[in-house]
Amino acid sequence: MITVENLVKSYHSTRVLQGIDHAQKRGEAVVLIGPSGCGKSTFLRCLNQLEVADAGRITIGEVTIQGGRPPSTAEEKEQQRQLRLRAGMVFQSFNLFPHLTVLDNVTSGPRIVKDMTSEDAEALARELLGKVGLENRAEAYPGQLSGGQQQRVAIARALAMEPEVMLFDEPTSALDPELREEVLKVMRGLVEEGMTMIVVTHEMQFARDVADRVLFFDAGRIAEDGTPDEVFSNPKHERTREFLRKVATR
Amino acid sequence: MSNASRCSRETLLVLVFLLASGLPPVFASDTLSEIRARGELRWGADAEGGAPYVYPDPQKPEQLIGFENDLAEALAAKLGVKAKMVQNQWDQLIPALERGNFDIILNGLELTAANQRRITMSQPYYVYAEQIVTRKDTTNLTQLDALKGRAVGVLSSTAAQRLVQAMEGVDMRIYPGNVESLRDLKARRIDAVVLDLPIALFYAQPDPELRFSGDPFALGYYGIGVRKDDLKLLSAMNQALADFGRDGTLEKIYRRYGLWDERQERLKEYRPEKVSQSQPISTLREWPKYLPLLLRGAAVTVELSVLAMALAVVAGLVIVLLRLYGIAPLRWLARAYVEVIRGTPLLIQLFLIYYGLPEIGIRLNPFLAGIVGLGLNYAASESENYRAGIQSIPRGQTEAAQALGMSRWQTLRHVVLPQALRVVIPPVTNDFIAMFKDSSIVSVITMVELTKVYGMLAMSTYDYIGLGLMTAGIYFALSYPASIFADRLEKSLAYDHR
Repeated sequence: MITVENLVKSYHSTRVLQGIDHAQKRGEAVVLIGPSGCGKSTFLRCLNQLEVADAGRITIGEVTIQGGRPPSTAEEKEQQRQLRLRAGMVFQSFNLFPHLTVLDNVTSGPRIVKDMTSEDAEALARELLGKVGLENRAEAYPGQLSGGQQQRVAIARALAMEPEVMLFDEPTSALDPELREEVLKVMRGLVEEGMTMIVVTHEMQFARDVADRVLFFDAGRIAEDGTPDEVFSNPKHERTREFLRKVATR
Repeated sequence: MSNASRCSRETLLVLVFLLASGLPPVFASDTLSEIRARGELRWGADAEGGAPYVYPDPQKPEQLIGFENDLAEALAAKLGVKAKMVQNQWDQLIPALERGNFDIILNGLELTAANQRRITMSQPYYVYAEQIVTRKDTTNLTQLDALKGRAVGVLSSTAAQRLVQAMEGVDMRIYPGNVESLRDLKARRIDAVVLDLPIALFYAQPDPELRFSGDPFALGYYGIGVRKDDLKLLSAMNQALADFGRDGTLEKIYRRYGLWDERQERLKEYRPEKVSQSQPISTLREWPKYLPLLLRGAAVTVELSVLAMALAVVAGLVIVLLRLYGIAPLRWLARAYVEVIRGTPLLIQLFLIYYGLPEIGIRLNPFLAGIVGLGLNYAASESENYRAGIQSIPRGQTEAAQALGMSRWQTLRHVVLPQALRVVIPPVTNDFIAMFKDSSIVSVITMVELTKVYGMLAMSTYDYIGLGLMTAGIYFALSYPASIFADRLEKSLAYDHR
């Protein structure tokens, strides 16, 4: 489903990703953990082309993108678009469109990108809003919602594109603790439905409960790759242990 | 309310009342002793396009020459003092004299009843006539009557303007200077120019493309202007002029500039006419007569501002899109455009568009040139407003749109621009209101809009205060609704009601 080969990315002279290899099956839920600055967010952003990797190859479904330079030809741009259509993204800061209602936020992708009719898009959007528990806030503006509600709308907006994989970039980090659970609950639901997911998070309990695999990122490399049990109970590296200790005492 | 503030408010009211009643400020009127004590005769004139009256010497531009300059020096010498020219816009010389900016006006000021109602004028020092100037190939416009149905240029608030204004059916264009009307004549924007003979002799006669059409007509006199009841100074001026007539000083000066002719013999025969003293006009009291004229000017201002702003808003968008999202050469071009337009005066840009473009075959009429000039100028600042607006939209918005698969254009159109729109409404409205006021600058390319109408009426009525209040009132009545509208628009686009 997802194959990443030798992904390299530098900012200025800092190598943020030092050759990442990763393979993931359909329906697998993978959680990325690691100290800040370890490259896990960059990895996610490369997957849906918000960042262009310096080298390496990304395959999602049947679409493959070669790193190296931003797409320039029409064909390359279409490839990039196809890759993005397969990967839905949820951001730490929600990034809802503040000038659109909740409903319009969710329908915007299908309508604008897929040329779906307004009726179809609205039906789809209402169904997804039901799924995230916000069917009665369809006419509200993002500014009128709590952070947790906004993030659930953002999930619905990403799902409306019917992606093959969902990417979550610290989806609960900007939320007050009491609002995190409603978002995590929606994400658990997605895992149960068999959605292919990559989640960057500091929610260790969530990782333990729902992840099929946990990857520990350290200094631009994948230092651990195993089941939650393997990584949390029996980490191979001292760095992982140290990180888990710090997280546990927080 | 405290006593102090009531007091100052009453003082203010009295002041406004005094000004509005049209009383000229009172001067202790022994200017002559002042001049002697100061050792300097200050004479008001306009040296801009001022040949052959007073103008910078082409050989030594820091030095003034001209027949009035020489006359002023002779007059000063007669009083035993030095002459000092005080630069002042020509059509504002009389109010400036009244304000006390200088002692006398010596600058082709015609001995007319209207002028003499406001100030006191000396014996004449020069007999002028009007001259029709046309292009070389025009033959039939030898008389004033023949100008009917033609576009005719005149210098603002001169005898020529009064003559042409009095005729029915002439498309009169009023110019701020002498050079511009002749240039437009050559550019075939107008068919003839009527101007004072000395000006014609200096600017038009040497020009191979132009010709004097018919004989000089409508003789008149230039006199020196002094403040009302400045009688000692007046008699000193009259005495000096009489001496200069007798001893040949005048003839010598005029011959130096090729201006001496047989008409000057009439100077000796001049007998002052009795000037009937009329009440100062209060345009506020007679507003039904003046307000419609001002409103007609206001209509031009509105038309011009609205069309120019429409151009600016659209062109500004194109510029900012090129600058932010265009390919490299277009990006540089857009940036250079903004910098050049912002870094040069609007006045120069208008002159280039109106007087410069005909040289490469693009001949815009004044109205169009005004719209293009103002519009392209404001396009630069609108594009900067947009740029600030677009860049104020958080990066996360673009990323979210891209993550959904939107193209660059779709991101702009559906996510960035709608949000930026709301941010830019206040600065764009500000510019629109500023445009109402800035548009008055198009009078330099012969457009008659609100401020120009004000100037023309003030010139003939001398009621600067009353007309000024009316004009300001109209400008305010135009801009205030615009800012209310913008307020409403901004609110109706608000989405972060919490």
